[in-house]
Amino acid sequence: MNGRVGGRRRIVVVGSGMAATRLVEELVASPAATDLHLTVLGDEDHAPYNRILLSAVLEGTHGLDTITLRSAQWHAEHGVDLRLGARVLGVDRERRDVVLVDGTVVPYDRLVLATGSIPSLPPIRGLVRLDGRLHEAVHAFRSLDDCRRLMAAIGVEVHNAGDEVTAVGDQTAHPVVRPAQRAVVVGGGLLGLQVARALSVRGLDVEIVEGGEHLLRSQVGSPAGQVLARDLRRLGTTVYTGARAVRMSDTAGGAVGLRLDNGYTLDTDLVVLTAGGRPSTALARGADLEVRRGIVVDDHLASVTDPDVFAIGDCAEHGGRTTGFVGPAWEQASLLAQRLTDPDGDATYTGSRSVARLRATGLDVAVLGDPERATADGGDVVEVTNPVVGSHRKLVVSDGVIVAATLVGDLSRIGLITQYFDRGTRLSGTEPAALLMGDRLAPPSRLADDAEICACAGVSAGRIRACASLDEVRATTRATTGCGGCSSSVAQLLADRPALTPSS
Amino acid sequence: MTATHCPYCSLQCGMTLVREGRAALAVQAWPEFPVNEGALCRKGWSAAGLRGSRERLTSPLVRDRETGELRTASWDEALDLVSSKVRSLQASYGADAVAVFGGGGLTNEKAYQLGKLARVALGTSQIDYNGRWCMSSAASAGNQAFGIDRGLPFPLADLERADVVVLVGSNLAETMPPAARHLDRLRARGGHVVVIDPRRTTTADRADTFLQPVPGTDLALALGLLHLVVAAGDVDEDYVAARTTGFDDVRRSVAVWWPERVERVTGVPVAELQALAALLGSSARASGKVLVLTARGAEQHSQGTDTVLAWINLTLALGMPGREGAGYGCLTGQGNGQGGREHGQKADQLPGYRMIDDPAAREHVARVWGVPATSLPGKGRSAYELLDSLGTDGGAKALLVFGSNIVVSAPNATQVTSRLESLDLLVVADIVMSETAAMADVVLPVTQWAEETGTMTNLEGRVILRQQAVTPPDGVRSDLEVMAGLASRLGSAGVFSEVPEEVFAELALASAGGRADYAGITYDRIRAEHGVFWPCPTADHPGTPRLFASSFATADGRARCVAVEHRGAAEVPCEDFPVHLTTGRVLAQYQSGAQTRRIKDLPDTGPFVEMHPMLADRIGAHDGDLVVVATRRGELKAPARVVSTIRPDTVFVPFHWVGANRLTNDALDPSSRMPEFKVCAAAVRT
Repeated sequence: MNGRVGGRRRIVVVGSGMAATRLVEELVASPAATDLHLTVLGDEDHAPYNRILLSAVLEGTHGLDTITLRSAQWHAEHGVDLRLGARVLGVDRERRDVVLVDGTVVPYDRLVLATGSIPSLPPIRGLVRLDGRLHEAVHAFRSLDDCRRLMAAIGVEVHNAGDEVTAVGDQTAHPVVRPAQRAVVVGGGLLGLQVARALSVRGLDVEIVEGGEHLLRSQVGSPAGQVLARDLRRLGTTVYTGARAVRMSDTAGGAVGLRLDNGYTLDTDLVVLTAGGRPSTALARGADLEVRRGIVVDDHLASVTDPDVFAIGDCAEHGGRTTGFVGPAWEQASLLAQRLTDPDGDATYTGSRSVARLRATGLDVAVLGDPERATADGGDVVEVTNPVVGSHRKLVVSDGVIVAATLVGDLSRIGLITQYFDRGTRLSGTEPAALLMGDRLAPPSRLADDAEICACAGVSAGRIRACASLDEVRATTRATTGCGGCSSSVAQLLADRPALTPSS
Repeated sequence: MTATHCPYCSLQCGMTLVREGRAALAVQAWPEFPVNEGALCRKGWSAAGLRGSRERLTSPLVRDRETGELRTASWDEALDLVSSKVRSLQASYGADAVAVFGGGGLTNEKAYQLGKLARVALGTSQIDYNGRWCMSSAASAGNQAFGIDRGLPFPLADLERADVVVLVGSNLAETMPPAARHLDRLRARGGHVVVIDPRRTTTADRADTFLQPVPGTDLALALGLLHLVVAAGDVDEDYVAARTTGFDDVRRSVAVWWPERVERVTGVPVAELQALAALLGSSARASGKVLVLTARGAEQHSQGTDTVLAWINLTLALGMPGREGAGYGCLTGQGNGQGGREHGQKADQLPGYRMIDDPAAREHVARVWGVPATSLPGKGRSAYELLDSLGTDGGAKALLVFGSNIVVSAPNATQVTSRLESLDLLVVADIVMSETAAMADVVLPVTQWAEETGTMTNLEGRVILRQQAVTPPDGVRSDLEVMAGLASRLGSAGVFSEVPEEVFAELALASAGGRADYAGITYDRIRAEHGVFWPCPTADHPGTPRLFASSFATADGRARCVAVEHRGAAEVPCEDFPVHLTTGRVLAQYQSGAQTRRIKDLPDTGPFVEMHPMLADRIGAHDGDLVVVATRRGELKAPARVVSTIRPDTVFVPFHWVGANRLTNDALDPSSRMPEFKVCAAAVRT
């Protein structure tokens, strides 16, 4: 084909998030890599990083420099043309090229859209100022820059792992007169809860405003949401559910008041918007690709409109679904890498199982699949709520297979339940309930004479009871002469021997 | 009274043998020997029981053409038959028509001589050994990371000096019980023991922390721990900068292994992962010593090498290797698993851990052997590949087996057995009629432990001496005598001594200048010094108990951090095979059981299927019921042993009996060629 770089097929990836990076990693690792020329257009100024961990950086468990996935140098070493800060203006499918805002034209043979999602702006008056910019007390939380700006606002600048400094006033890149003390998180979904907990751990007074009737409403039912709200209150965070923020206004000292539709006004220094996102599809729409909620792709992840354009990750819609999780995004990336290097292969995408885990200190939440939909679809529900310890666990079972689950407040069996879920293991009728029950403790009892005490020498309790002393035990049974693990049991058995002669 | 060592595992416990009456031998403690300080497990105490067994072979056997049965034959008849058959097969099909299969239980002298027999007398490249199925993944990782492969780069007793010992896939309280004493002393001192195993073993019962991952996910676990160590800023940056290369790649590569992802892959809850990472990190911050030990549980996987590399990376990040009481080590399995891999019975190696494709190595060894370097064959096939090719076009038509019971110990054993059946000539040298010997065309009865002298190299790299205590029964010959007899019948160049001490002296010369340098070691020194640690290049060199204090054995003296990725097991559970199968040992038995199953003081329970009560309920089995374990390769019927100490998604079968390895997967590690013994997908039913 004309215009190939050195005869190599040009693959242009729009986006440098987690799906894009996984795709690039697999492409450069493939034997066909030498036939490809890869260009990655990332609109952020940072080398690809692990977006999942932004809330961990905010909370302080991870240093900012530890979340980089692949450095610019790595891309260069692998012959990948990584362009950072590259904002794409449009795609011309006739000419088969991508035009950047700065006028640069990037031709492609295959185009991959991995544009992710963008946060949606809730309808709150006063959020956006007259000049079109967000009010400075308002923060989004999607990108590394958002994270840095929020950290600056609370007076923390993270340089490196384990090397955190608290910045005051104008020492930071984003001058702050006074570090924020109070925050309102708008949105009680997974991201909202993580951000809220992170800010709490940082010492802020945090309030959560959730428009739905309970927290995590897209993932879990009301009982689980209520357990969570109680946990959060115990941890010092106020939760308003069934309440919408409607107006924001400035108050004294740089603070703002956020008015809710239930009549409350929350005075705060910060407002963090986490109330959902939507697939970023503007580019695809502009290129006349079929877009519903996301960019519609077939089982090969190709646009149903154009077989040379693919979409993966949050921006893609497959089988009527979009996902917001990294697991499916990576599965799509791997599959697409196979597809791009072996177009005749039989790799097809059939959907993914997702496990959502809340990453927040003090809150234990896991959501496997879609429990509410699975319940509505007629799955059998086995659930245990224990308000005393604050746990709610629910398994949705269909034909013996766990098809969805909610685990809140007790993750003791998560390492098994997720395995069964991921493998589609068929369980017996009693197993789901057994999984939600604790192990019974065996009552202590006198060791039977045939119980083995010394595994090394194969010696039973009875044979030790028959000995008068440790020397006799060693000489006649060889117990205690191997690994030494039975020494205390042997001593106990010898001590418990009934005295043969009355002591005077 | 003879000071010697136990005939079984790599601990090579010291013991003394005392004659009782005319023929009987009694085992007694040898408290001065430092590795076990007089302690022995029941296998050691009962080790003399195999002598005088009615099953002991005392005459060569030859398969009768008419009846198809084995009949007794003279040594001359048997060896003449073997050499004439070898000659005619090699005349028809070339030198590689004959293959040799050795074992990690052979003494250094035998292992060395076997390699020489193959390369000089038979001229074949086709030689490998069952050690490939033991610690080869750790060997491959050690060579990549440290430039050298010595299981423990320090004496075993150093365990007691650590602050945290992490055992990955090791059940040492059952597999080498006296070693557990070091863990107990460590704990008595306030140290912390961590055990990582899909089963809560007796070793786990003695640990402070126990993690129970899904089989085949130890690699992801290590990546997850390093992720947390990096995140917390607990990397020893000074050490990494001064003593390693490649860490930045590794640091980036673990950014995608956040705890919740690791939990999903490994089945280890986030909280347990975080607690362990915090323990390791805080210990390192406080200048404490962290020691990670892997064993077969982590290594016998198709990603075994990478798994070990991931754990090594963790210890390098924490700044541990080279410090006393800290670092990384592999707990080798077989008695001479260490020495057996150093002196030329491996497909790609010559004595002294030299690589067979290195021209300088070939020159050196050929000079010692008195043959031209050009006459030495090149690299052969690895163990499983060698066996899998037997009888095929391009594969060997004859196989000589020394010190291995392939029928029981090879993975996908049904396939391997059918390959053995396709041979024109199978020769087995053994002490009893093992399952493999029973298939042979010629069986050669050889001497055993206590009837012969030879050196072993234990898991610490300590070369020790097993001494003859009794006269062998009439009719048997030593393996060295067998090899000499074959070499002379084949008109081989070079000298094939039958005297162990002479062979050792030659081995020492051949190893001189190699990575495993034995040049300064003699029998007298071993006797006087309770063993000598290699490398020991000269007679006045003290030996090297501890490696890496100031540099690693790489070209630039730095350890290599190699970025690795978790690929997962070759076979994962599915609808038809919904559980993981893992295999391992029990205390009273050793390897294929050819020795231990014949000792009356050791209970021969037969195989069993360990499973969790929830799984037992699912299939309607009770403790003791016969159940069937099936995989894509075969089936095994054995009693259920219902215990709550195993993961409910996993079953365990011990591998000492025929059957377990009909189930296991022959998927190989790309670097070590280790088969995936430790995990495959299985179904269980009543």
